[in-house]
Amino acid sequence: MQMLNLSKTQTQTTEAFLTIDRVSKVYPTPKGDFVVLDQVSLAVQEGEFICVIGHSGCGKSTLLNMVSGLSQPTTGQVRLREQVITKPGPDRMVVFQNYSLLPWKTVFENIYLAVDSVFPHKSRKSKNAIVEEHLELVGLTEAAKKKPTQISGGMKQRVAIARALATCPEMLILDEPFGALDPITREELQEQLLEIWRQHQITVLMITHDIDEALFLSDRLVMMTNGPAAHIGEIMDIPFPRPRVRSRLMEDPHYYELRNEALDFLYRRFAHEEEV
Amino acid sequence: MINFLEIDHVDRTFPLANGGRYVALKNINLTINQGEFISLLGHSGCGKSTLLNILAGLDRPTAGGIILEGREVRKPGPDRMVVFQNYSLLPWKTVRENIALGVDEVLSHLPKGERREIVTSSMKMVKLDRAADKRPGELSGGMKQRVAIARALALRPKVLLLDEPFGALDALTRGSLQEQLMQICQESGVTCVMVTHDADEALLLSDRIVLLTNGPAAHVGQILTVPFPRPRNRHDVINHPRYYALRGEIIYFLEQQKLAKKRPVRQAPAIIAANGLEKVNLDLGFIPLTDCAPLVVAKEKGLFERHGLTQVNLSREPSWNAIAAGLREQRLDGAQVVAGLPLAMTLGYNDKPPIPIVTALTLSRNGNAITLGQKYLEMGVRSLLDLKALIDANRTDAHTNGQPYQPLKLATVHPASMHNLMLRYWLASAGIDPDYDAEISIVPPPQMVSNLRSGNIDGYCVGEPWNTVAVQENIGYAIATDLDIWPGHTEKVMAVREDWATQYPQTHLALVKALLEACNYCDDRRNRDEIVELLSRPEYLGIEPQYIRPGFIDAYDRGMGKEPETLLKFNTFSVNQANCPDRVEALWILAQMARWDITPFPRNWITVLDRVRRVDVYSEAAEQVGFAGLEPNRNAIQLFDGSLFDPDDPIAYLEKLAIKRDIHIEKIDIDALALLT
Repeated sequence: MQMLNLSKTQTQTTEAFLTIDRVSKVYPTPKGDFVVLDQVSLAVQEGEFICVIGHSGCGKSTLLNMVSGLSQPTTGQVRLREQVITKPGPDRMVVFQNYSLLPWKTVFENIYLAVDSVFPHKSRKSKNAIVEEHLELVGLTEAAKKKPTQISGGMKQRVAIARALATCPEMLILDEPFGALDPITREELQEQLLEIWRQHQITVLMITHDIDEALFLSDRLVMMTNGPAAHIGEIMDIPFPRPRVRSRLMEDPHYYELRNEALDFLYRRFAHEEEV
Repeated sequence: MINFLEIDHVDRTFPLANGGRYVALKNINLTINQGEFISLLGHSGCGKSTLLNILAGLDRPTAGGIILEGREVRKPGPDRMVVFQNYSLLPWKTVRENIALGVDEVLSHLPKGERREIVTSSMKMVKLDRAADKRPGELSGGMKQRVAIARALALRPKVLLLDEPFGALDALTRGSLQEQLMQICQESGVTCVMVTHDADEALLLSDRIVLLTNGPAAHVGQILTVPFPRPRNRHDVINHPRYYALRGEIIYFLEQQKLAKKRPVRQAPAIIAANGLEKVNLDLGFIPLTDCAPLVVAKEKGLFERHGLTQVNLSREPSWNAIAAGLREQRLDGAQVVAGLPLAMTLGYNDKPPIPIVTALTLSRNGNAITLGQKYLEMGVRSLLDLKALIDANRTDAHTNGQPYQPLKLATVHPASMHNLMLRYWLASAGIDPDYDAEISIVPPPQMVSNLRSGNIDGYCVGEPWNTVAVQENIGYAIATDLDIWPGHTEKVMAVREDWATQYPQTHLALVKALLEACNYCDDRRNRDEIVELLSRPEYLGIEPQYIRPGFIDAYDRGMGKEPETLLKFNTFSVNQANCPDRVEALWILAQMARWDITPFPRNWITVLDRVRRVDVYSEAAEQVGFAGLEPNRNAIQLFDGSLFDPDDPIAYLEKLAIKRDIHIEKIDIDALALLT
């Protein structure tokens, strides 16, 4: 049943698009060093869709912050096209779970603000056009004049995604973007995200807690061990052909094998005991 | 006997500001046993929480009532404790104080020391004794919810009511808490009713899952019994062969409800009459299998249109259960179904109410095989007798070692399918009891291969391409094809509701005519390459032609190291009077279903067969398209083991069988059934 696309995973002669190279993150505390991440290495190809999964406290968000440039590794490097990442940049846009829109600005203005900061030299007209194009991309043209408080959680997250994409980043970094949404809206947004990813040929790094979400979206699923000193426990190739249709995925015999393997990793081999 | 907890015909209606009324719940009826774990599952807004509040006594039903151990529930009480999603702990009190509050109030008749002991043991139960003096603000979400559960259970309630208890937690924390809750329920034996929208959560925890339809007027859509043995752990549960079949049913139910919700106004499907037919717009269900070819051909080659059916939509369905539900609920006009389904639905099976279903056409014959996992080939199991010898050896080993015997785990696609009946027949003919020496579960066809690969099952009986996929991927081998067991047996039939056939007689006739021509087209081997191309399309099977070709066009490889065999009759659609809904074969099916206690055997089998198998419609249709619409002669049926099935004395046949279950023989009054439904 499997229609594997081998060409993508095999050729790695050149430097990857994004390289996470033996990255560790250590926080000094009065009781001694606290190792959050220990020697994490990952090479991401251009255009790949990567999901990262792991229990709370496994350092997923720490890792993501280092890719976005919001924090620096204690040892090791994160490189984008051979350039060491030292600070945030418009080539890597981040979407968080809590939307982080400015509540006193309209949907249009929220996106315009981002476009304006990245392309200050462009004319107002062309900046408007960029905003309109991306509003249409996420199906929000009609909500352009609304304020964030007047729209649903799903719509807010679509605004956040449109805002991130409007700056034409090379990479989209998503920190559990759909965690706060109801299941129906979540599925709709997952489908929309895949469509955008397909059209824009963008590289995506996304944190999730949801195995089905990861299996539906990603090319590879990175599974983290538990902290402290978390590292990559296993990387699972998700071989389903694209474009993916959710109902078809559910029929694919490999779907359940992969799902059970991920469940086994998270609930047995690296089960999370909540400390008291 | 008094039921433990009864939800008796509960309605809940809310008045609206505009003077109207909103019916949230309509006629909810459910009996819950002591110690049972029940999940209420449905989309947001379906009234799950309203029902839970009524159970808690926080809300009152507009009609009907709740009865707990013979007493009506009219207000909240400590015998029914509720755990909400948002924990609702008092932030200025410690964990111990939060729990003690209820204990001191409700159990005030107990001495102080004893109350203290109850609080301490409750904290231990949720592994929070070390956090006794922390305040909620210092705890994670998961820990807060553990406090809320401990607080509820400290009062020793008879029923624990959980309203999406883990909804606010991330998916992975949720998982750990689910396992803790399961353990707590196991130890305390408390009866639980939980509201959730998480299919995995419901399957892990519940004994039964109640699927509620969307509001307004939400009602019980379906009740699933969860068969996993207890004590459970997640690993064994997700590896149970039924797991993904059940999960699939829940997802499918939610998916259907989601579609219904998206439609702005729920309209009855329009009936479009044209071309001298009562209805030309049909939704027909099929399962992605090689033998759905006649439906695909009728659609793609314009045969439906030729007979005036200008708007036929083929609906790809996830399981035979989904198809049965589609017919029952009139979502589908008709469907390709396993041969025994119309009989089983008419008689009523699996605790489902009977509903008269008819068939006027056999769509295909043969096309199945029995596949075993590769390890059995390595152990030298090459025939039924080898399998029998292996089972005997396993029994002896188990006996010698004082271990329980592990039955062979097999799967088939539906209780009323030829796969199930022929697999059982095959096993029993060698003295293998399909219920004691083996364990047969129901798994939808596309999920067979993954269950075999992961070792959840040892083998299965299914239609193609799912045997060939196992062979080509080297994970199994076809130890027998159905040609080895009963060459020429009926396999798939076209089913519609009896009341549908009565309402749209010309449409029914046109449908049978179009499919008769399609079957004829399918049996012309010159067309088979083209048909493989059609079948492999994503909207039909969505699978590479290499898996469809063996048996259909190419020689058939059993994966047993021999030259592939030419099996010309492996997929038969038309030749040798293939299409008649033969009544003798149907009688064999009735007998086998009674043999394994799937349905009772109808004492009035002749009237039942005449009602279900519409040879009259078939003959009329066949003659109109220029075929001889004759029913084959009433001959005895002889299968591979040489035993005869005499259509004139099925009861004597049943009595003679060595391996069988308790057989129930009843007179079945279809008209009384029809009135009921």
